[in-house]
Amino acid sequence: MIRFWIPLIGLALFFMEPIFGLFSPLQLDGGFYYIVPRFLIMFLIFIAVYYDLKHAIYYGLFFGLLYDVFFIDIIGLYSFLYPAICLAAGYIVKSIQRHLVVTTVLTLVLTALFEFILYQFFKFISLVSMPMDVFLSTRLLPTMIANSLFLFLLGWVFKLVIDARLIEREKNPRLS
Amino acid sequence: MPQLFSNKRLILLLLGVILLVALISYSLRDRGNVSPPEQVIKDAVGVGQSIFSGPAHFVTGIFDNVDSLLNTYQENQHLKARLEEFASVQAEVKDLRSENAELKEIVGKEEDLRTYNPIHATVIARNPDQWEEKVILNKGSSTGVKENMAVMTASGLIGKVILTTPFTSTVELISTQNPNYRVSAMVLGGKKDVFGLIEGYDAERRELLLKRVDAEIDLKKGQQVVSSGLGGIFPKGILIGEITEVTIDEFGLTKLAYIKPAADFSLLNHVIIADRVAPEVDGEDNGVIEDATGTEEEGS
Repeated sequence: MIRFWIPLIGLALFFMEPIFGLFSPLQLDGGFYYIVPRFLIMFLIFIAVYYDLKHAIYYGLFFGLLYDVFFIDIIGLYSFLYPAICLAAGYIVKSIQRHLVVTTVLTLVLTALFEFILYQFFKFISLVSMPMDVFLSTRLLPTMIANSLFLFLLGWVFKLVIDARLIEREKNPRLS
Repeated sequence: MPQLFSNKRLILLLLGVILLVALISYSLRDRGNVSPPEQVIKDAVGVGQSIFSGPAHFVTGIFDNVDSLLNTYQENQHLKARLEEFASVQAEVKDLRSENAELKEIVGKEEDLRTYNPIHATVIARNPDQWEEKVILNKGSSTGVKENMAVMTASGLIGKVILTTPFTSTVELISTQNPNYRVSAMVLGGKKDVFGLIEGYDAERRELLLKRVDAEIDLKKGQQVVSSGLGGIFPKGILIGEITEVTIDEFGLTKLAYIKPAADFSLLNHVIIADRVAPEVDGEDNGVIEDATGTEEEGS
């Protein structure tokens, strides 16, 4: 049943994020680098691009709410930002071609934007007092390097699963 | 080019934003309490998370084991050197313990700030976005975990419980930026014990700040800092860290010491929650200063 693969992968990525979070901060010759796993939002952007914007937004809302309640206790932050990023991806993809490389670059740009918005939000509610240059060098850069590595390794798998699901849906339109 | 937003959509979007702001400000205002639906979600996600974190801890455990296997020879040499020392220290500890017990009996003192019931727990997740230093444990109020309890590893204090649900609890690590996070501490090794407050964390040096120590008192590099238990919630004597530098605070009235934490905050696995035996009172350790001064006024 390819139908359930997409939500299952989403769920698995959701649970994997905090486990990879346990390895951070990374210590490299005296400096500390924070790596934030952003697997789920990257997968959601792939869904928005290749599969269906509406599904991506629903998944974003669901997982965002779980994230808000379980981890940060501020309801409405991730559950707004996940669908908003998916929506942006859905609008941008209308005017570009859906090649895997293009999508990967788009996903990375949107993930960086996502991270930046979160930084601004936490700065706004004065939960963090990290200056911009420190944020860029110790958080955004290592995070983006690690996440692009993840996406280069597994982006084609995401596409494969979504394509398989699309084929299944065409054959069997009742199961959409 | 089609219009991006129709009128109906625009109204929906505006309503959504208003709802969002209301939700965020509501949940920001009281983050200390969890409503029943939130508890259900937390517990459900917690169960799923422990299923995933089990194998992950297993794999990291294997790497740790290989790592310690490689160091076995050196470690063995080191331990052999310490062994003789250990025997005499052990004899002394035994002697002191029995003497302490006898003296306590004579005085008739039963409760002690030091004693606590340990609750063993496993870290199932760390807040992945890491803007706040939080970890989530697999034990909750059903096993007796309460808010503000001290959490430690074998090497020292790491934080305190800030939220509990029946099956999970959220721990704010001591390396937080939260200005309301205080732990009453004392410095060992001098002629008299010196009391102060752990307040704040220097993110660049990765060291804790010990504040409000009398300027007359001499602090030395290398002295150990432990929890004093006088804040009302923590047990006494949990190791926090070691002094690395002593300076004067920004107003020049009290001393400020930098403390290197004894525990390692990354890659946490098994932790111990300390349930203090002595009765708990509101105080510095729970971060609610208004309440504490309020009760003081009532008492006086």
